[in-house]
Amino acid sequence: MSGEEEENAAELKIGDEFLKAKCLMNCEVALILEHKYEQLQQMSDDPTNQISQVFEKSLQYVKRFSRYKNPDAVRQAREILSRYPLAEFELCVLGNLCPETVEEGIAMVPSIKNRGRALDEEAIEKMLTDLSLIKKFE
Amino acid sequence: MFFHIVLERNMQLHPRHFGRDLREKLVSKLMKDVEGTCSGRHGFIVAITGIESVGKGLIRDGTGFVTFPVKYQCVVFRPFKGEILEAVVTMVNKLALLHLPIDIYPCGILQMGFFAEAGPVQIFVSNHLIPDDMEFQSGDVPNYTTSDGSVKIQKESEVRLKIIGTRVDATEIFCIGTIKDDFLGVISDPGTNA
Repeated sequence: MSGEEEENAAELKIGDEFLKAKCLMNCEVALILEHKYEQLQQMSDDPTNQISQVFEKSLQYVKRFSRYKNPDAVRQAREILSRYPLAEFELCVLGNLCPETVEEGIAMVPSIKNRGRALDEEAIEKMLTDLSLIKKFE
Repeated sequence: MFFHIVLERNMQLHPRHFGRDLREKLVSKLMKDVEGTCSGRHGFIVAITGIESVGKGLIRDGTGFVTFPVKYQCVVFRPFKGEILEAVVTMVNKLALLHLPIDIYPCGILQMGFFAEAGPVQIFVSNHLIPDDMEFQSGDVPNYTTSDGSVKIQKESEVRLKIIGTRVDATEIFCIGTIKDDFLGVISDPGTNA
């Protein structure tokens, strides 16, 4: 239990293993799972009995909560966020929730404010604006 | 949050599968064994996306079974305390029996509130963690509504919430969430949407 009590995503305390791991935005997960679902469909007529409930629920969820649908927009979102000094986890929270203001952005990812990085309010605002533009032109 | 990580598992295979398609057999058995499972450490294993390596097999004494260490890439879903995410309301005001450690949730056992789902994980938001200006309304579609009626939480509403506690057992992760904070709460409700 001791390790768990330390856990706090707001301070980016998610354990070393996950901190170094590749995070996925919902829209990226949607692309991966849809691809896998199509593959299963080709292999058998009824893929529903091959997939787990966890897979099915995840697919429904990421389809519902994907900010970007087409693969180009998904790639672009990650590309824009990657220009800023963000941890993988922070990048994906921002990509998933698309906050509209600096205040909202900091409320969603409090750790971006805490670590004394080269990310001032102006930079955060520019980042969020760039992100919102993808949505508009998609 | 979803992650793409590499995990390892020792797979036991019966000698009758040793042949040209040994690797295929290993992979399909791996998928059957691990996809859809959940552990406290890595969360829910949603889908295997690739095989990194299959190590040298080791014959087990007495049985003839061979154990192969298999490294595989997979998508997992792991909720974290402090994480903010979007979820779909599945049930409002069910009296929930919560078997939570007292340090995570000290407010008693029988709770009113709503359940929401984010992918494979269930999240419970209790009365105390819903803004005070929202009140419970019973009826055909039980819901929480503000006094001016402008905001409503009911089944199928989409909410943005913060996870404040997790409970892990052998096969499940269960979360406690709050919507009582800035920028949290309803993002769409099925009544107003076209």
